[in-house]
Amino acid sequence: MLNYVARRMLLLIPTLFFVAVITFALAHAAPGSPFDKNPDRPLPQATIARLERLYGVDRPLHEQFVLYLGNLLRFDLGSSLVKDRSVAEIIGSQFPVSAQLGLQALFLALAVSLPLGVISALRQNSGVDYASMAFATIGTTIPSFVIAIVAIYLFAVNLKLVPIVGWGTPRHMILPTLILSLGAMAFLTRVTRASMLEAIRQDYVRTARGKGLSEQMVIVGHVLKNAMIPIATIVGPATAGLITGSFIIEVLFNVPGLGREFVLSITRRDYPLIMGVYLLYAFIIAVANLTVDILYGLLDPRIRLK
Amino acid sequence: MASAALHLRPLVAVLVTGGLVLGACFGGPSTPPNQTTTVGEGQPDPNGELITNLGSEPDTIDPHRASFVGEIAVVMSVFEGLMTLDPKTLKPVPAVAAKEPEVTNGGKTWKFTVRDGVKFSDGTPVTAKDFERGFMRTCDPKTAGDYSFVLYIVVGCEKWNLMDVRKSSTAELDAAKKAVGIHALNDKDIQFDLTEPAAYFGSIAYMWVGMPVKQESLDKGGERWTEPATYIGNGPFKLTSWKHNENMTFERNEGYWRGAPKLKKWTRVMLNEGAVAFAAYRGNEIDILGVAAEDLRTIESESDLKGQLQDVPGSCTYYIGFNAKRPPMDDPNVRLAFAKSFDREGYIKEIQKIGAAASAGFIPPGIPGYDKDDQTQKYDPAAAKAALAKSKYSGSAELRNVKFTYASNSRTKTRVEWLQQQWKANIGVEVVPDPVDSTAYTQLVKKQETTPLMFILGWCADFPDQQNWLTTVFHSSGIAKTGWKNDKYDDLVRQADQETDKAKRDGMYQEASRMLSQEAPAAWLYYVTGKILIKPWVKGVTTTALDSVLSQFRLWAVYVTKKG
Repeated sequence: MLNYVARRMLLLIPTLFFVAVITFALAHAAPGSPFDKNPDRPLPQATIARLERLYGVDRPLHEQFVLYLGNLLRFDLGSSLVKDRSVAEIIGSQFPVSAQLGLQALFLALAVSLPLGVISALRQNSGVDYASMAFATIGTTIPSFVIAIVAIYLFAVNLKLVPIVGWGTPRHMILPTLILSLGAMAFLTRVTRASMLEAIRQDYVRTARGKGLSEQMVIVGHVLKNAMIPIATIVGPATAGLITGSFIIEVLFNVPGLGREFVLSITRRDYPLIMGVYLLYAFIIAVANLTVDILYGLLDPRIRLK
Repeated sequence: MASAALHLRPLVAVLVTGGLVLGACFGGPSTPPNQTTTVGEGQPDPNGELITNLGSEPDTIDPHRASFVGEIAVVMSVFEGLMTLDPKTLKPVPAVAAKEPEVTNGGKTWKFTVRDGVKFSDGTPVTAKDFERGFMRTCDPKTAGDYSFVLYIVVGCEKWNLMDVRKSSTAELDAAKKAVGIHALNDKDIQFDLTEPAAYFGSIAYMWVGMPVKQESLDKGGERWTEPATYIGNGPFKLTSWKHNENMTFERNEGYWRGAPKLKKWTRVMLNEGAVAFAAYRGNEIDILGVAAEDLRTIESESDLKGQLQDVPGSCTYYIGFNAKRPPMDDPNVRLAFAKSFDREGYIKEIQKIGAAASAGFIPPGIPGYDKDDQTQKYDPAAAKAALAKSKYSGSAELRNVKFTYASNSRTKTRVEWLQQQWKANIGVEVVPDPVDSTAYTQLVKKQETTPLMFILGWCADFPDQQNWLTTVFHSSGIAKTGWKNDKYDDLVRQADQETDKAKRDGMYQEASRMLSQEAPAAWLYYVTGKILIKPWVKGVTTTALDSVLSQFRLWAVYVTKKG
C-alpha cells in the first residue's frame, strides 16, 4: 500500500511536467500580451516593448520555459506580471479562502445528498423520491449565478438576514456555501439514488436478506457500502472542483478566493499566475484521484492496489 | 480567451468592462462640467465613515506604476503632488508647492518650492528630495510604470527609461540616470530641465507619477512597500489595512497640511459585479454607486433612488477610427461622409443610455480645449451624401462591404450594429461588422500595418491639456494608428505644445482641432459621462471631469452626517 502511494506520488512529477509544458505552450499561444491591459486604450508600443523586456517576456519561448522550470525546482513560482505580488503570495492568501468555502460546501452537499439519495432509493416512486428528484433536477439545471442573484436580493436586500459586503464571519459565508454546494448536492443525490437502486437488486443483497440479517444491517453493511464506489468516483474530482474556487460564486459574493484570480489571470495573460494556479490545480486533482483509488480498496476488497 | 472561461463569458465581459463602467462615472454637459454637487447641510459626524466601491482589486497602488482609474484613485487619496487642479477650471494650482513654479530659460526650466510644514502621515517633513525620488522612480527603467512616458518631456528621462536593464552595464545605467534633468537643489527646491518649452508641465506636476516617496518606505518594504506598514504618503488619508480582494480602509491623516479631513474613516470595498454593488447600495452597505446603464430604468422608477441620482462629467471620448491608408478611407470625403451620417443624439438615447453625444470636436466638455462650436461632424445626411458623391469612390465597389472591426462583446456588438443601420439608411453604404477577441483587437489597433479599416477606440485625459489629446493621439506619431498624416496639423500642434502665450496657444490648438474634425481620421462617437447614486448623508463631494466616483481634488472636504 505504502509502496503504491509512493509510486503514485513519484508519477506526479512527470504529470506535472507535462501539465506545465502544455499550459505554458497554450498560454503563450493565445494572442496578446500581459501589458495589453485596456482594449479601449492601448499603451504606447515602446512602453509595452520596454515592459516585456524588463519581465523577460520578449525572450524565446523555450528559454523562458527553461528559466521557469529552473525557478520551479527551487519552489519559486515567480511574480505576477500585472500585480505587485508574487504568485506564491497570491496563492497563499487566496487559496485557503477557496479551500475553506469549498470544503464547507462539500460537507454540506454530502450531509444532504447521501441521506436524501438513500431514502429516495429505499422509497422509490414515493412522494419523497419525487421531491428529491425534482430538487436534483432543479439544482443541476438552474445556473448558480441565477440562484445567487435571487438569493442576494431575497435574503440580503429584502429580508436583510445577511450582509452583502465583506467576508469572514459565518453570516457572510452561509449563502455562498449553500449555493456553491447546490450543484454537487443535486448531482450526488441522483448518483447516490441510482447506485443504491443498482446495488439493492444484487444477488448478495437477496442472500443477506435470506440469511435473516436485519434490514438495517442489509442496507448499511451491504447495499450502501457497495453503492459507495460510484459515489467515491465522483466525490474525488468534485472535491477538487469545489476547493479550487468558483469564479461565479467568488465574484457575486465578494469572496477573496483563488477562482476569480485564476480566471482573470487567463484573460489578462498573466503567465506566471496561470502557470502557478494550473500546477496547483493539477496537483490537487491528482491527489484527489489518488485518494479515490485508495478508497476503492477499502470499499471493495476485490480491488487490489499494486 | 481560453476555452475554460468560455461559459463564464457574460460575467467576464462585465468584469473586463468594469474598469470602463467605473471610468464611465463621469458627467454630462447637461450639467456644468465641473462643480460641487452636494452642498453642505447638516453637521459633519466627527466619527463619520464613508464606504465606497473600488470595483476590482487594484493591481498596484504604487504611485509610479499606477495606471487604472481605481489604482489612481487610491494613490490620490494617500499622496499629494506639487500641484493640484482647480476643480472648477482643471487648471494647475499649487498644492505641496508653496507657490506657482518659477519658469525660466524660455520655458525649459521649471523650479518648484516645497511648502513649509508639509509632512508625511508618520510626521516626518516632506522635502524636495522626496519629490526627486518620486519623479526619478517614474523614469527608472526598473520601476516598470505604464505612465512614465508623460515625463519624457524631462531631459534624459526617455533615454534612461527605455534602456534595456539586462543588456546595459551598471555604469551605463548610472550615467543615464545622472543625465536626467530632475534635481532637488536643497530640501526646499526642486528643478526640472525640459527638452522643450512645455506649457503643460504644471498639469503633469499634479499627476501620480510625481508623488513624493520616503526612502525608508522603499528600503523597509522592498517590492511590497505598498502594504499599509510602509505605504506612507502626504495626502489627506492614510492606508490602514488592505485585505486583498476584499477591502481597503483609510483613516484621516490628522497632520494633513490643509487641516484634518472631515471623514474619520473611509472603507473601499471591492465588488466587481454591478448587480451585487447595486444590491449593496440599496442595503446601505455602500454610500456611493457608479450607475450602470442596465440599472437606470429601475432607478428612475423608484422615487427615493431617483432623488439620489446625479450626473457626473467625464474625461473620455469614444471615436470610430478609420485607416486612412486603405481605400475607401484614404479619401477624406468618404471619412467625413461616415462621420456626418449617424445620429449621435439618437445613439445616446437608444444605445449608450449614459453618455453625451460627441457633437463638437475630439476634446470632451470640462477639459481645456473643448470647442462647443465645432459643428464640422454634425449629423447631416444631406451633407454626408454630398461629401460621398464628391469622393473618388462614389458608386465604386470599395463602398460595398466596408469592414468594421471591433472587440467582441455583446455591448459593442449592439453599438456596431446600430451604426451599421445608420450608414445604410443615410448614405446607403453596407458596413460589415467584424468581431474579434478583445486581446487580439488590442494587438490589431496598435500598429499601422494591422489597423483595421474601421474600429472603435476611446481616449481619456491623462492630464487636462490639449497637448494630451491633439498631439498625443492624432499627431502622425501619436497613439491613434489611423495612418492619417497632415504636415500642417503636425506642425501646428507641435508649435502649440511649446507656445508660452496661453491665448495664442489655445487658438492654435483650436485651429488644429477643427482641422482634425474636417479631415476626419476619426468620427467622434460620444463623450463618456456618468451617473452616480449618492446617499443623502454624504456631503461636500465635488465632481470634475477627471474624477471617477469621488472628488480627488477636494477629498478633505467630503463628510457624512449621521446616517438615517
